[in-house]
Amino acid sequence: MNKFLRTLLPADIAKGLSVTGKHFRQVFFTANRRKVPFHIVSEYPEVPAKVQPRFRGRLTMLKDEQGVIKCVCCLACEKICPTQVITIEKGKQEGRKMPYPVRYDFEMERCIFCEFCVESCGFDAIILNHQFELAAYNREDFSLGTEGLGQNMFEPSHVGKFSVADD
Amino acid sequence: MFKNEEMEINLGPQHPSTHGVLRVKLRLDGETVTHCRPMIGYLHRGVEKICENQSFFQGQVWTDRMDYCSAVANNLGWAEANEKLLGITVPRRAQYIRTLLNEFNRIASHLIWLGTHAMDIGALTVFLYAFREREDVLDINEAFCGSRLTTTAFRIGGLREDLPPGFEKMVRKFLAKFSDCLEEYEALLTENRIWKKRTIGVARLSAEDAIALGVTGPMLRAAGVAYDIRKAFPYAAYAEMDFEIPTRTEADTYARYQVRMAEMRQSARIIQQCMDGMPEGPVMAKLPKILRSEVNEVYHATESPKGEIGYYLVGEKGSLNPYRFHVRAPGFINLQSLPKMAEGGLIADVVAAIGSLDIVLGEIDR
Ligand code: SF4
Ligand code: SF4
Repeated sequence: MNKFLRTLLPADIAKGLSVTGKHFRQVFFTANRRKVPFHIVSEYPEVPAKVQPRFRGRLTMLKDEQGVIKCVCCLACEKICPTQVITIEKGKQEGRKMPYPVRYDFEMERCIFCEFCVESCGFDAIILNHQFELAAYNREDFSLGTEGLGQNMFEPSHVGKFSVADD
Repeated sequence: MFKNEEMEINLGPQHPSTHGVLRVKLRLDGETVTHCRPMIGYLHRGVEKICENQSFFQGQVWTDRMDYCSAVANNLGWAEANEKLLGITVPRRAQYIRTLLNEFNRIASHLIWLGTHAMDIGALTVFLYAFREREDVLDINEAFCGSRLTTTAFRIGGLREDLPPGFEKMVRKFLAKFSDCLEEYEALLTENRIWKKRTIGVARLSAEDAIALGVTGPMLRAAGVAYDIRKAFPYAAYAEMDFEIPTRTEADTYARYQVRMAEMRQSARIIQQCMDGMPEGPVMAKLPKILRSEVNEVYHATESPKGEIGYYLVGEKGSLNPYRFHVRAPGFINLQSLPKMAEGGLIADVVAAIGSLDIVLGEIDR
């Protein structure tokens, strides 16, 4: 009998609905929706997405104060990369004692953004920046490097307009 | 005129409720399943073989990509197995931080399970709520190691970096609201008559069968066996934590739901203890420049959200990479119990059984 009454009274359904109702009230009956603490939807492409300071984005090479690439071709990053996406060609530059990377190729399509390369670099010559919109229209656009047309390590990627690129 | 024949159908590999690319071959007599065989291998990448050709340091990135819903737990197992093999002791602070992140990962993994499992059975609302909290956990992952899903969180010997500034505030904020959130999910499900009808008594797996099949994790605990590697063979900082192993005896889908919900509460408790008792000190052990194996063979098991994840590593003394690497994946072994649970039941309950297994095909196929 008791069980029968409980079947008639949809208390369990009402309990569930009260949860959804609570959030509905919180969000939709408030004048300024953005101020509601539980409103977790962000207006992403219009408002740039915020990432945490340690975010692992695209690989970028750093330059020192004179605008010279810091990398000294120790090949540590090339060796440690689990997917072998970095290729470095050693070379010389006028007026520089340390070796200079004539070619530094980074094939982004196979990079897994693990940050092992940055960790292995003893010269702080590379970092993973905060770009995460890395899509491109052509396969060639993924081949980044210090040399060649459309292969610039230092520019943001072609398609990513919205993410912040702070080095 | 009517032929009474059994019908053979395929569930998957592109079926949304098979959580990836699982194909289940079913033979049906009307709506009753008479024969059920899971077919796997669609996502095979050869992780074990790849790791054998890479250094100990590099192997970790592959463990992320096995069970991508609980990457941190996989990282932890890998790091600890390697530390055993290489003979490294990890500083205490690093152990605490590992425990903390591992428990966050358990919450995230169980939340995915809760959302997707409820959605398979027909309760869509919970999905949205569960993913709201999961987002916070992923933000915490991102703050700590820079990545949300494939974390590569730990290093052999400790951690790459200490906790970032503002981390404690994030954790405390999460803990403050999480118990309310759990109550919300339970308000939506626990008493709900449709949920109860779809789960109670469905896909039973008795304790004897579970043990015989090697099933571990919440599946086993829902059958009444209080076996948890965190308690049985403590690793990381679990020996110093005070927590309980939730068990149920009904061994059905509803019991598994209750066990996982209770486990999330315990995880929040462990996180609280980690945060309160966080010791000071270094986070990285002193390592040799090149990692070479010290002993010949290790097997290290940890409790991933899905069950026992064990790493078996053979490394000849002085070698730079493992000679043999094998993963005892919990999903792979738990999946064996699917025929036992599904045969004799209705076809609609196969979906509930697969959901309650909490499988990730990346780990099963490896
Ligand atoms: S982030 Fe990882 S995969 Fe990408 S280049 Fe660096 S080491 Fe290689
Ligand atoms: S590790 Fe640093 S210095 Fe060495 S080659 Fe790579 S980027 Fe250059």
